[in-house]
Amino acid sequence: MELSVAEVTERLRERAYLVDRGLATVIGVALELGRPLLLEGEPGVGKTECAKALAATLDVRLIRLQCYEGIDVASALYDWNHARQMLYIRTLEATHAAELPVADVFGRDFLLRRPLLEAIEHDDPRPPVLLIDEIDRADDEFEAFLLELLSDFQATIPEIGTIRAQRPPVVVLTSNRTRDLHAALRRRCLYHWISYPSLEREVAIVQARLPEVPARLAHEVAQLVAALRELDLEKAPGIAETLDWVQALAALGEQRLAPELVDATLGSALKHRDDLERARARDIGELVAAARRAADER
Amino acid sequence: MSATSPTPPLGTTLVRRVAELARRLHAAGGDAGPARVQTALLALDAVDLTQREDVYWALRCALVSHEREIAPFDAAFASVWQPPPVDEPTDEQQEALPAPSPGAGERDKQAAAGGLTGVEHDLLVPGQEGGEDSGEASEIGMTWSAAERLRKRDFATYGDAELRAARLLVERIARARPRRRSRRFEAARRGRDVDQRRTLRRALRTDGYPLERAWRRRRRVPRTLVFLVDVSGSMEPYARAVFMFLQAAVAAGRETEAYAFGTRLTCVTAELDARDPDRALRNAARAVPDWAGGTRIGDNLAAFNARSAASGLTRGAVVVIVSDGWERGGVELLDEEMARLRRRAHTVVWVNPLAGEPDYEPLAQGMATALPHVDRFLPGHNLEALEALAGALERLPS
Repeated sequence: MELSVAEVTERLRERAYLVDRGLATVIGVALELGRPLLLEGEPGVGKTECAKALAATLDVRLIRLQCYEGIDVASALYDWNHARQMLYIRTLEATHAAELPVADVFGRDFLLRRPLLEAIEHDDPRPPVLLIDEIDRADDEFEAFLLELLSDFQATIPEIGTIRAQRPPVVVLTSNRTRDLHAALRRRCLYHWISYPSLEREVAIVQARLPEVPARLAHEVAQLVAALRELDLEKAPGIAETLDWVQALAALGEQRLAPELVDATLGSALKHRDDLERARARDIGELVAAARRAADER
Repeated sequence: MSATSPTPPLGTTLVRRVAELARRLHAAGGDAGPARVQTALLALDAVDLTQREDVYWALRCALVSHEREIAPFDAAFASVWQPPPVDEPTDEQQEALPAPSPGAGERDKQAAAGGLTGVEHDLLVPGQEGGEDSGEASEIGMTWSAAERLRKRDFATYGDAELRAARLLVERIARARPRRRSRRFEAARRGRDVDQRRTLRRALRTDGYPLERAWRRRRRVPRTLVFLVDVSGSMEPYARAVFMFLQAAVAAGRETEAYAFGTRLTCVTAELDARDPDRALRNAARAVPDWAGGTRIGDNLAAFNARSAASGLTRGAVVVIVSDGWERGGVELLDEEMARLRRRAHTVVWVNPLAGEPDYEPLAQGMATALPHVDRFLPGHNLEALEALAGALERLPS
């Protein structure tokens, strides 16, 4: 079932709780142009979720490469199965095989395929979604390598040769901006900045994810989180924190927000000591009352 | 792929509008070159042109590549895309668009043409245009005793000649970098960690017997180094020398950031990172709005901490504060923000030129407040002290 870009955009829009109109449009453009899409935004706004939603909508495989400092070709593209190679050589020895066929040892049988190679050399009828998560955690060298890979979707393994993607994957990169990415990589990609969701969308997300939670509670927590984001925090709570918090309060059997329990569970939303202090300095009771009032008005 | 495909046959007015948009973005400091314009046109081809919102998103994802470019893009889009894109404007309408006001970049150029302000002039090391062979400017041309005298002389007493002579020494000192262990490996002659890949390669030479093992170890890479430099009035005698050092440090390594603060905080890394030191210093001088004013160290640190919390800049970094600790604001905030900084940074170094006095006591209230949160406290009032700073940075544990 091949979907047109318009249909994909439409379907993503239907999943309004995950993807807003701007993002859906940008994804449509990325699919049409066959360009990688770079998603930036504060942690916890759903960048990774977006790639997952895209794969689900397209009904294709999601291949995820989680970046970290020091990630290299051996863990991103391919590596050799050294133990197997060694065993093979020793077996040949034991069976007195005449010549050692080096080509065999460095053949596909001994290749460990890592996410990038999987994404290039897939045999799916429809190309997978390749999620390169938190690219800002990798270093410059890896970024340069990635740039090369993303420009023509081919990779060279010296012992085997150049492997080229028959059908290039749909590439989504995410970055939390812990490091500024190189301009060349940015230039290669389409760009979208994901901001925190609007109140309505956040409530919708909570209700879609946690249908068993009372609607009132979802509203009030979303209001409260929105108020917390206004404070000058080290790490403002993201959507994931909202979900955690709602879940924590619901698990305690709460139907509505109560100051004592909010204070006791504040750690679900704020993960820094400084942030907790800052929020508590702002009178939790008042924040809760304001959130309840705002939810009442709706 | 898309880069080679022809531009779709959109109306020429549309093309012109996109080009105009890109031009304005460029003037505002964006990075919207011809390749981006082409991408933008291809992107437009993928959306419904009658939907202004879709046109906006299509153009934005193609022409913007950084969060900071979003606001200039919005402004440019609002003015260039005035009428709804349903009916394309005629050429007359196109020409009726308001003439773009000169961008910030152009204004800067005009300012540059219009001569230097006092501070810009002050920061420059004069006479450098004469080149290296002007004799006394180079370290080689200096006698040993002259160099030795210079090393011990307080920066506050430097004249132009001394600054010129000190430059090469400063540049060498500024190359010092604290290091940290990387997650990446490099080949090593010996070690504890077997490099499987290279071991197997070698085993092939010996009929598959891994006789000779190959080793690897964690590479050591530069640790992020952040300078926070006080440019308030009381630090003025040291500003030229400190900035010379700062410029050399930024130019010498990628992992270095420099901030100047007086009444407010300004990042000067980009300005200082130029091949030509004079130009770099001129740029930096222009970027800092509040030379020789008062200072509120606590407020500045708060601003710095807030900024670096989001970017993770100070995590694992060595932060060097250059200030006399003369705080005009309250010390409670300074205390709190220093504690925050220390929690996040790997090491906090405070360089105070006044500490070069033999009988220095941290009497300034700000200095006394900050001192408990500081890992290393160094003078930095002359070349010798800068060398000590460089040595301290290099010896920090990785």
